[in-house]
Amino acid sequence: MKYSQKVLDHFMNPHNIGKLENPDISATEGSPACGDQVSIDLKINPKTLVIEDIGFQSYGCASNIATASIITDMAKGKTLEDAKQVTWKEAAEELDGLPPAKMHCSVLAVDTLRKAIKEYEISHGLAKAEAFSKLTIVKELKQVIYPKVGEDIVSLKMVKYVGFKEGVATVDVDVPSFDQYRENIAEEIREHLKQFPEITKVIVTL
Amino acid sequence: MKRIYMNNCLTTKPDPAVIEAMMPYLTEKYYLPEHFISTGTQLEEDIAAFKHIVAASMGAEDEEIHFTSGGTSANNLAIKGYLSANAAKGTHIICSVVDYPDILTNAAFFEDSGFDVTYLSADAEGVINLQELEAAIRPETILMMTTLVNHTIGTIQPLARIREILNQADHAIALHVDAGQAYGKLPIDVHANGIDMMSVSGHKIHGPKGVGALYVRKGIILGPVKHGINRMDKLETGATSTAAIAGFAKAVELIFADFEKNNAYLRELTGYLLERIQTTIPHTMLNSPADPSRRAPHNINISMDYIEGEAIMMMMDYHGITIATGSACFSEGLNPNYVLMAIGRTHVQSHGSLKFTLSKFNTREEIDFLVEKLAEVVIELRKRSPLYNEE
Repeated sequence: MKYSQKVLDHFMNPHNIGKLENPDISATEGSPACGDQVSIDLKINPKTLVIEDIGFQSYGCASNIATASIITDMAKGKTLEDAKQVTWKEAAEELDGLPPAKMHCSVLAVDTLRKAIKEYEISHGLAKAEAFSKLTIVKELKQVIYPKVGEDIVSLKMVKYVGFKEGVATVDVDVPSFDQYRENIAEEIREHLKQFPEITKVIVTL
Repeated sequence: MKRIYMNNCLTTKPDPAVIEAMMPYLTEKYYLPEHFISTGTQLEEDIAAFKHIVAASMGAEDEEIHFTSGGTSANNLAIKGYLSANAAKGTHIICSVVDYPDILTNAAFFEDSGFDVTYLSADAEGVINLQELEAAIRPETILMMTTLVNHTIGTIQPLARIREILNQADHAIALHVDAGQAYGKLPIDVHANGIDMMSVSGHKIHGPKGVGALYVRKGIILGPVKHGINRMDKLETGATSTAAIAGFAKAVELIFADFEKNNAYLRELTGYLLERIQTTIPHTMLNSPADPSRRAPHNINISMDYIEGEAIMMMMDYHGITIATGSACFSEGLNPNYVLMAIGRTHVQSHGSLKFTLSKFNTREEIDFLVEKLAEVVIELRKRSPLYNEE
């Protein structure tokens, strides 16, 4: 398994690296405990809603830095509406592919960009915060990647049950007992659901 | 660009003399050992001589040495063999949370098969908890397994104390030692140390891959693990490579001929590396034991704050330098290094950990170059990190 030359190029010489001065909006996703965190700053033209400048910082591995770099390239010059449409699969393709176990890096980079856009839209009255429901959890679980194949756990039909009651989110996932990624998947689910203030406790059953 | 290789815990460069010693067995002496017929007996004699070299290096008798197809094979033959032959005496075994995966995966396998396993904890430097060992021993305890030199941080386990504690029991408890990282680095006398089984590996000491040895004390019974034709050894069945054994024996000969000098050199190099890193790069934390006498001579494990180890490793690779990391991003299961977590390091410290394991082929000049490049890489990655604030 190896990184594509394009991943290595973006890792060694990342584009749009660093904080912006006076950004219109900033967002951070991931956590140091999980080994990766990305922060993105945006400068947005309030009339055209075009992303005029973008900067990122990254705590993470080579593919984390490379995916954040490519995402900033892909978003720069786009309208917020178009930038929102960029998917983690497109970002990975733009890098000539990523190893399956590294796909979550692409998800993290896209998530950070989308979070920044959404926060800008909400703070400027362009969008409303979504009402939280069980579907919000299901949607978020689509961002959890099964590292063995590099696809999300919902598409792979690994999620058997999702429940939400009085702040407690319950997720049952089908992972074989001998799977080396068991702990990682549980940790990723907890990490993804932690961000919602509506959730006070996450119970993951494997 | 000449590669600087500092991942000798993983594998080492074969000594040129090792390759030379192997060649005759890949060319004219390609026969297998056999009785009576001249093509076979000359190989029997050669292998007996190689066995003597390995036995002498650890204070064993020749017949207590079994050549295996590597360290992992030796560990499996010992653990599975001992437990299958002795389960009637008890089904409780002991190891620790910082042991090598060979031991931990075998322990988990026996746990699934109905054995009770006690996993001893370790202190902040990776030394196993001896009070827990004392408390864990019960009439059903039949085996204690330990990794003499820790494969991640180089900690040396207190072997003499472990044996003493095991001897306090009213019944015999066998001691199996994984000496993969210890062999050739520390003096080991299997009889004086009361070791019942010990595994060693060829490619960790500048020998070839695919060969190792298992010491089994006389009187210890091992059940068969690998069924098949007994060509040379009743434990490791099939046709073991005589070329690999010849290379292994040469590596043993070389490493023990210069034992003191080699290890003093390694100690000096790792001491120099640590001092250079600590005086050049701010915000680091040593994970190996601070007292050099408590760690193996070749290992320095150190964490770089605010940045992630795989990225550091990849940039160092770009500069022609091979090192290792305990970051989750580089592990098979995407989990932070379990040894570092067991000794109380945080996720971030584990993700930012770097392991430098040196050999006799490394030099001070290489260390100077490495530290220069490492300092550049750390500055660059910290500049990119949202966790780092220069002020």
